[in-house]
Amino acid sequence: MQRRHEDIKFADVNNDIVRSLVETGPRYYVTLAIAVLITLACFFFPWFYQLYYGIGAAGMNHPTVWGTYLASFIFWIGLSHSGTLLSCVLHITNSEWRKAMYRSAEAMTLFSLMVAAMMVMVHVGRPWFIHWALPYPNQMELWPNFRSPLMFDVMAITTYLTGSSIFIYMGSIPDFAAVRDRTTGWRHHMYVLLSLGWRGTDTEWHRLGWAYTFLAVLIIPLAVSVHSIVSWDFAMSIVPSLHQTIFAPYFVVGAIYSGTAGIVTVMFVLRKYMNFEHYITKVHFDNLGKLLLALSLIWTYINVVEVFTGWYSNDSAELESLRYKLFGFYAPLYWEMILFCAVAPLLLISKRFRTSFVPMLILSIAINIGMYTERFLIVGTSLSRQYLPDSWGVYVPSLVEISILVGSIAMFCTLFLIFVKIFPSVSIYEVKETLPAPDEGKTQWQATH
Amino acid sequence: MSLIDDFLARWHEYRRPGYYEEFDYHWTMTVDLDRCTGCEACVTACQAENNTPIVGEDAIARGRHMQWMRIERYWEGEYPDVKLRAIPMFCQHCDAAPCETVCPVSATYHNQDGLNAQIYNRCIGTRSCAVYCPYEVRYFNYNNHHWDEPLDQQLNPDVSVREKGVMEKCTFCIQRIRQAKDAAKDDGRRRVQDGEVQPACVQTCPTEALVFGDRKDPDSAVSQMLGNERAYTVLEELNTDPSVVYLKKVDADAA
Amino acid sequence: MPNVDRRNFLKLVGAGGVGAGAGFMLSESRKHPVEHLVPYPVPPEEFSPGIATWYNSVCSMCSAGCGISVRTREGRAKKIEGNPAHPVSQGRLCALGQSGLQALYNPDRITGPLVRAGRRGEIEFDPTTWEESFAELANQLELMRTAGRGGGVALLTGGVRGHLASLLELFMGWLGSDQLLHYDFNHPATLYAANERFFGESNLPYYDIENSRYVLSFGADFIGHWLSPVHHGLGFGRSRQARDGDRGRFVQIEPRMSLTGAAADEWIAANPGTEGVLALGIARRIVDQGGYQGTDLDAWQAALDGYAPDAVAEQTGVLPDTVARLADSFAETQPGLAIGGGAPANHSNGVDALVAVNALNHLVGNIGVEGGVIFNPPPAFGPEASRHASLARMLELAEDARAGRIELLIVSNTNPVFNLPEASGFAEALADIPQIVSLSSFLDETTAHADLVLPSNTYLESWGDDTPSPGVGFRVGAVSQPVVEPLYDTRATGDIVLELAHRMGLDLAFPWPNMEEYLKYSWREVWSNGTPDPSIPDFDTFWTSVVRAGVWGDETRAPGGEFVPDAGVVEGIGVGAPEFAGAEGEFPYALHPYLSNGLHDGRGANLPWMQELPDALTGVVYGTWIELNPETADELGLSDGDVVAIESPAGAIEAPVLVYPAIMPGVVAMPIGQGHEEYGRYAEEHGVNPINVLAAETEPATGALAWAATRVRLVPTGGRADLVRVSGEARELGREIVQIADAGTPAAAVNAPAVAAAGAGAPGVRLASGARAAAGIDAPTAGAEAATANTRLNSIPITVVNT
Ligand SMILES: Nc1nc2c(c(=O)[nH]1)N[C@H]1C(S)=C(S)[C@@H](COP(=O)(O)OP(=O)(O)OC[C@H]3O[C@@H](n4cnc5c(=O)[nH]c(N)nc54)[C@H](O)[C@@H]3O)O[C@H]1N2
Ligand code: SF4
Ligand code: SF4
Ligand code: SF4
Ligand code: SF4
Ligand code: SF4
Repeated sequence: MQRRHEDIKFADVNNDIVRSLVETGPRYYVTLAIAVLITLACFFFPWFYQLYYGIGAAGMNHPTVWGTYLASFIFWIGLSHSGTLLSCVLHITNSEWRKAMYRSAEAMTLFSLMVAAMMVMVHVGRPWFIHWALPYPNQMELWPNFRSPLMFDVMAITTYLTGSSIFIYMGSIPDFAAVRDRTTGWRHHMYVLLSLGWRGTDTEWHRLGWAYTFLAVLIIPLAVSVHSIVSWDFAMSIVPSLHQTIFAPYFVVGAIYSGTAGIVTVMFVLRKYMNFEHYITKVHFDNLGKLLLALSLIWTYINVVEVFTGWYSNDSAELESLRYKLFGFYAPLYWEMILFCAVAPLLLISKRFRTSFVPMLILSIAINIGMYTERFLIVGTSLSRQYLPDSWGVYVPSLVEISILVGSIAMFCTLFLIFVKIFPSVSIYEVKETLPAPDEGKTQWQATH
Repeated sequence: MSLIDDFLARWHEYRRPGYYEEFDYHWTMTVDLDRCTGCEACVTACQAENNTPIVGEDAIARGRHMQWMRIERYWEGEYPDVKLRAIPMFCQHCDAAPCETVCPVSATYHNQDGLNAQIYNRCIGTRSCAVYCPYEVRYFNYNNHHWDEPLDQQLNPDVSVREKGVMEKCTFCIQRIRQAKDAAKDDGRRRVQDGEVQPACVQTCPTEALVFGDRKDPDSAVSQMLGNERAYTVLEELNTDPSVVYLKKVDADAA
Repeated sequence: MPNVDRRNFLKLVGAGGVGAGAGFMLSESRKHPVEHLVPYPVPPEEFSPGIATWYNSVCSMCSAGCGISVRTREGRAKKIEGNPAHPVSQGRLCALGQSGLQALYNPDRITGPLVRAGRRGEIEFDPTTWEESFAELANQLELMRTAGRGGGVALLTGGVRGHLASLLELFMGWLGSDQLLHYDFNHPATLYAANERFFGESNLPYYDIENSRYVLSFGADFIGHWLSPVHHGLGFGRSRQARDGDRGRFVQIEPRMSLTGAAADEWIAANPGTEGVLALGIARRIVDQGGYQGTDLDAWQAALDGYAPDAVAEQTGVLPDTVARLADSFAETQPGLAIGGGAPANHSNGVDALVAVNALNHLVGNIGVEGGVIFNPPPAFGPEASRHASLARMLELAEDARAGRIELLIVSNTNPVFNLPEASGFAEALADIPQIVSLSSFLDETTAHADLVLPSNTYLESWGDDTPSPGVGFRVGAVSQPVVEPLYDTRATGDIVLELAHRMGLDLAFPWPNMEEYLKYSWREVWSNGTPDPSIPDFDTFWTSVVRAGVWGDETRAPGGEFVPDAGVVEGIGVGAPEFAGAEGEFPYALHPYLSNGLHDGRGANLPWMQELPDALTGVVYGTWIELNPETADELGLSDGDVVAIESPAGAIEAPVLVYPAIMPGVVAMPIGQGHEEYGRYAEEHGVNPINVLAAETEPATGALAWAATRVRLVPTGGRADLVRVSGEARELGREIVQIADAGTPAAAVNAPAVAAAGAGAPGVRLASGARAAAGIDAPTAGAEAATANTRLNSIPITVVNT
């Protein structure tokens, strides 16, 4: 039975969402099993092989010492951007349509950050010493290098991860309590712990609201800083075509762009497979579509600026980098990126397009493929064509790298699948805020029970 | 307040480029391109001295050669007026080394002798230093290397063999510098004298194109070379302030 | 870290010792191998763990004979550097010379005597013992000798000099055989012949590049591999930058730019095989311009009559203006030097061409002067007559084999099956020899044909001596001592010969127990013939000091004086058109094979460092390629990596194309060195051997293989092979990486500053002081100082044992 959003009753919300947590069909288990298997087979197995053999299992070489692992790292960090950031912005601006989608969007942030952290582990040559990049007191008085943008990265990402974890958790407390009250057995005990004794008193609501807003305000600059800092890993080098002042906004916009597209994908999946059709509606897709269009235009603008600045510099190294990007070995990828991220999104001008679910899904996936390509090109084309032409080289990802990329997507899915069974993936209380207050009496309550 | 003062003092110290304002020695190499023939004796000398591995044909095909010293070849003109310009390329031991700032764990840093040092057992293998180095002279161990027995017996015991996941590059043959400093100390002398230390590549170069020494000693051979008007540094516009100074190739037929 | 087992380690430790001390120590330890544990608290006196010991010796990787200093630690050789006291290398070494370590520690060395188990030509052997091998072989030799069939024994070795050569002569003399041949692909036979003809002196002269102001080289890649590349490198560097305002000019004439061509100021491509004609064109211009005023001017004018500018231009393809310019500047810029080698020397008209080059030196008065051609005195020791075998001589040997005149062939340290063209039929002729014995460290293509393999030591495990050729204008002798205990159950060639002689009952003729004793015995003569010096009271002191210094010399240079060629010689000057195997119509391209910088004539192919040393001009590793002019490649529609069949009248091979910007259209070039079928894991299955398609064409005057005289055609196969190269884009794109200065810039005249400063009078840095060091008179000090110089270079404390 198809219901309209306005028709949803308060109690329905609880029912639907709690059902999504406790009622688990075989389809879920099969999906989870597949995701776990792919994660193991495509991510962990090749990674262990790489740990044994060395980074040589990947295709990187001299001079292209960075490859898909780092591209994936930026990609996942980027994807993490829309979630919490968007949620915060929309929270502060009191956007109603946020409420049905922010929880899963925030989860996306969390999980893409985790996958990104895994990509760092996969990327470095000796992950077993990765803790050396953390500032911890030690006898040798050895500290990380605080001048290194990589170090800033470590700081920014851990802060962002902490911030967004707290944010999503704090926002979920009332829902945990709601679920606590409607579950039994181990679940009940788990939610007892998770809900931290939430009783729903006015004071509690008041404090939650205050803290939530406070965090939202805090997280916005944090999120912006994270991708700016990631961009500095590149921009603070003197590699032609990486050493650019536009890199910070470029990365931030790119991140929000791919993150928003990611949200569209996730919304579609949740809507379809978790039966949230009446919570996640055309309104959401329409609004996200508008946002995507705006981001796409900004992104395109920055790309034009990037090309133009390179060309205008009239510097041999910059020009060659540019020529190589546009017409060299990887040129097909460049034009694919332009098609997916600059041209195709123009379809979003049409409202009919924005409110059609499947086309939106396809576009959102295309945008993310394009955005992945962008990250790959940032690494690949720039490092292949640096200052000394005698050292130029071409980099082609190996099977191990491709497999790990696929595996990382599966890992993200796995985490998400686990999430939807623990966290109410649509915020119960905030969705209720968008509904008309329930009538007096028991009729409606009875009707739904 | 003293805590803050202390912090500020440390911060100031820390902010100084390269940590060292003044070097004990300022090791410098000059490469006279008018002498260098591109014969590559230096390439093998470096490989022999520094235990750089034999990587095999496949690895080289995949762009994973490991020789710290390489000869870059640039052709100019077309047949028959064609010229080959060869240039030895190895770590330039930049005094403003981009590779040093980026290393998250300070595995590569500037030492008190003006060398760009590489601490293998501190390196976690992010390869960022190789990205930041504009001279492309950093080589990463994509895997462990193997010397078919008994080739391993030729390994220089004064130089460690690097494991997978670690970055490496020309060290200016730091083991030889150390030994020279130790010997100078044992002799009761205060400083290493000019000519007491020669990196392997310098030692073998048949055309004497390479000269190595302490720039702080105004009488050293290398200081004299630096005074030559042909002296220049590669990619000077990047302001890396290299410790390897090239002497321009002479074109006898140029005006 | 290397995995060394304790037993070997301690055995190696037994090789400890410094300088001469090492020698005695070694011979002792060989008799009584140190196998018991040496407790560390009481280490052997000569050996300190963690402290390097240096031994001076001689490089045997090519025929230049550079002096080396080998750094050892805990009884293992760790690094080879040049011996600063040796006047040839003066502390420097080439890439190949440094790789000698990988010959020593090569995993594919033969570890003990072997007997054939399978068919000839296949590597199928069973282990045997020295005792058995010696007993059988000596028995066979003795039977042949006493039966008067000694002439049926042939001994074929690589280039050998010094007392080992004398010993081999003596041995073959006792056998009654004159089949003693040295075969070396790179032996400059035509140069010897040309010098004999022009100078009446068959030795190689000393080319004083260092003091020369103008070097006109006809095909000689003297920086890459020709004669004495390390010494030439020193000369090149100093000529370039040692004299303020007087930078030496280098002109290279060759169809394909070599390393020397690339280093030269001017590279000129003349039609292959016409370089001699060009030399005579230059000569004629010099004579015409009045640059030559000898009494035999008329004879010269007559001889050069046919070399008018137009005729020369017609033949060589070099414009008359260029010829005139070269002639004028060569005549003007004194002292100058004309040298010839490489392809022009190995063409059908090779000797004539080199005579023409010699003539140039004579015409401008560059003979016997500093910066010109300086005659070397006869070698200090070793046989007088050269036993170097030309292709013709090798074919004779093959013929003798086919006719059943060779009963036993002993091959030592040479690989003719690889280094002779297939067309010579040499490999097949081996089948007709009943017994083949190989003295070799490696199972190479020739050893694959042996019935008995007696593994020889590498040079780093052997005693020997050497008279470098070309020398440095004065007498030099060098002693080569073992720097480590032999790794395996192998013996030095000299010791094998002596052992055979002893077992044949020739003790009276060969009274020396081993090579070391033979050397000491022979050097007594060198000592007594030398300038007497009161500071050296006895031979032992002399010997110790020579071994320690690694080199000995007599710095008197042959007097310069007037040189006048015989009238007949001048009359006979003339260079005919080159003759190629293969008609131009059918085979449109002249094949220009060249020795590669690391692999040399193929001997370096089993050294992984050399396989991974990027080709100096193309950056290729591990392969063979064929170089085409860009225009030629365009015409044929070929680009890098396209595989072509290279077909000559003598055979066909396939190789990928590499478009090379500095080669004449009409010429294709291929590096020699790869294409080994045997010779160990590093050598096998890489590239092809261009020698295989060479016609067995000879230079008529010498019978030498004219390896530059084969024409080929190229047939695209449609296949692709990716050449493994370390280099990316070969154009600078205006990035000013290699910057260029004007000719007028002041010189950076710092010669080997570090060594000079370190040694503070340490020998061997400059030629003159090197000579002094090498001279017997102050050898003990020289030895000590040589060691000290080395020590200081690396600042490793050294223990000096005073004997
Ligand atoms: N806690 C503590 N610290 C101390 C001391 C103490 O008593 N207690 N004593 C101090 C003193 S006096 C000293 S001397 C130092 C000693 O300090 P270290 O030099 O660290 O001595 P160990 O830890 O005994 O051994 C070093 C390593 O050598 C390895 N090893 C053993 N045999 C061999 C061999 O044949 N070859 C090689 N390559 N390795 C080998 C061992 O496995 C071990 O890993 O420690 C000092 N520090
Ligand atoms: S050894 Fe000397 S001449 Fe040869 S390539 Fe190296 S620097 Fe140049
Ligand atoms: S050349 Fe490269 S590796 Fe060496 S100091 Fe400079 S930036 Fe660092
Ligand atoms: S690869 Fe090693 S040295 Fe280079 S930046 Fe990373 S940790 Fe530092
Ligand atoms: S200075 Fe030493 S480490 Fe550097 S290139 Fe020369 S030999 Fe190699
Ligand atoms: S030139 Fe010949 S003798 Fe000299 S170091 Fe090189 S290989 Fe050895």
